[in-house]
Amino acid sequence: MKIRNWVTSILLGLWVPVLLVWAWYRVSIDSTNPYFPPLPDIWARFQENWVFALVPIHVVPSLRNLLIGYLIAVAVSIPLGVIVGASKSGGSYVEPVIDFVRSIPPVALVPIFILLLGLDSNMRIAAVAFSASFPILLSGIDAVKATNSVLLDTAHVFHLSKRQVLWRVRTPNAMPQIFAGLQVAFQVAFVVTIASEILGSGFGLGAFTLIAADSFMIIDAWTGVMLLGLLGYLLNLVFDIVERRSLRWYFGQKKLS
Amino acid sequence: MTIAISIDSVSMDYKTDSGIKHVLDTVSYDVTDGHFVSIVGPSGVGKTTLLRLLTGLATPTGGEILVRGSKLSGAPQGLAVVLQDYTRSLMPWLTVEKNIGLPLKTQKLSKAEVKLRISDSLEEVGLTGNEKVYPWQLSGGMQQRVSIARALAVRPSILVMDEPFASVDAQTRFDLEDLVLKVRADFGITTVMVTHDIDEAVYLSDEVVVLHGSPAKVSEVVTVDLPFPRSQVATRNDPKFAELRTRIYEKVRGI
Repeated sequence: MKIRNWVTSILLGLWVPVLLVWAWYRVSIDSTNPYFPPLPDIWARFQENWVFALVPIHVVPSLRNLLIGYLIAVAVSIPLGVIVGASKSGGSYVEPVIDFVRSIPPVALVPIFILLLGLDSNMRIAAVAFSASFPILLSGIDAVKATNSVLLDTAHVFHLSKRQVLWRVRTPNAMPQIFAGLQVAFQVAFVVTIASEILGSGFGLGAFTLIAADSFMIIDAWTGVMLLGLLGYLLNLVFDIVERRSLRWYFGQKKLS
Repeated sequence: MTIAISIDSVSMDYKTDSGIKHVLDTVSYDVTDGHFVSIVGPSGVGKTTLLRLLTGLATPTGGEILVRGSKLSGAPQGLAVVLQDYTRSLMPWLTVEKNIGLPLKTQKLSKAEVKLRISDSLEEVGLTGNEKVYPWQLSGGMQQRVSIARALAVRPSILVMDEPFASVDAQTRFDLEDLVLKVRADFGITTVMVTHDIDEAVYLSDEVVVLHGSPAKVSEVVTVDLPFPRSQVATRNDPKFAELRTRIYEKVRGI
């Protein structure tokens, strides 16, 4: 029964994309416009490029920068957000600064990072980590601040130490909301990863797509865009699975209520 | 008879936007060791405020509270609570056994001892076998049993309950009342319960304290000399039960 529901939902979710691909195929098949090549040509080149000849030099560096940068952001921002959120006055000092910096479009920060750190992959990782931090920080501060008082009273009466209240009560209680921040941060990290490759890099999916477009290798550019879309989709799927596993208690509870 | 908790001319004022609100005015009462005491009064009278003072969640603005002779500051050792709102008081991300084990992390206990206490408390409340489920997978009454088990696991000498059965249905309420009587008979824990249900107060207590007025004072202390063990049918049909509840009802209403 469960598997059947799963299959049904996938089939239901699939027909729109299938329709779109079919429409793309129909519209592009007779195209002579060099900027809008026929889908079968793109698909053939896609297989040549990405199964799996160019994967090591273009996909691996991008994914590496993305994951390292993102994990740094997670490791730093969750604890920091929790601590700031739990402190009585901390939030009010820090929040205006966070609000200011996060209002800058993350991609616009890339040139600053280049100026400060140069053009190597450390710069790219730093840019990803930095811009992914803000959604996580903000969700952490908000969620921890809003811990309900019954929970805190209970912890207090049972003599939990400040540390235990912070990491064993406030943090797990805030995790559903923090995960929403983690998801936004992941999307930001993906965008910044690609954008950071546009300058000074020969490697990475962003670099590949831009160089291909600039060199009139239009079909290659199309395959880059296609792969970016697919990767973004797959990474989001992975994220959802991780979220469902980590917050099993939360989704279970929600389903019952 | 020794005194477990001594409430000595305790007053409590709150600052609000419209000035100072006097909630409690020189409330004095001694809880005898091993007794079951209920605090009743009209809603909004300050019962929960008094309970927050007893648990160290708030500090009185006047007078003092002594727990076994020493002045209360912060949550007293050997005290456990059961709150009305079990859905918020239990941690939804922890299984039943981990919820019960959480307060034990503050005590230096061996793993075997923790395990034993968890299984003992679960057995006491009749929930053996539910160690690995989450609280939200249980009914309201069962969740409140988990709260009681969590309180018992710290082996408290004083148990404080804030309207513990207000959020469960009537049948479950009777079951939980009898459970509390059983716990009390098994361990002799001094228990203070806030409730708005006069029948429940009479059924469970040795003494019922009536708060009345604004700011609230102790308007009456009623000794409930109904025999133990008590039973939902016999005790509630006892003419004395009716007499006591009438008397308390009139005091609560200020008649």
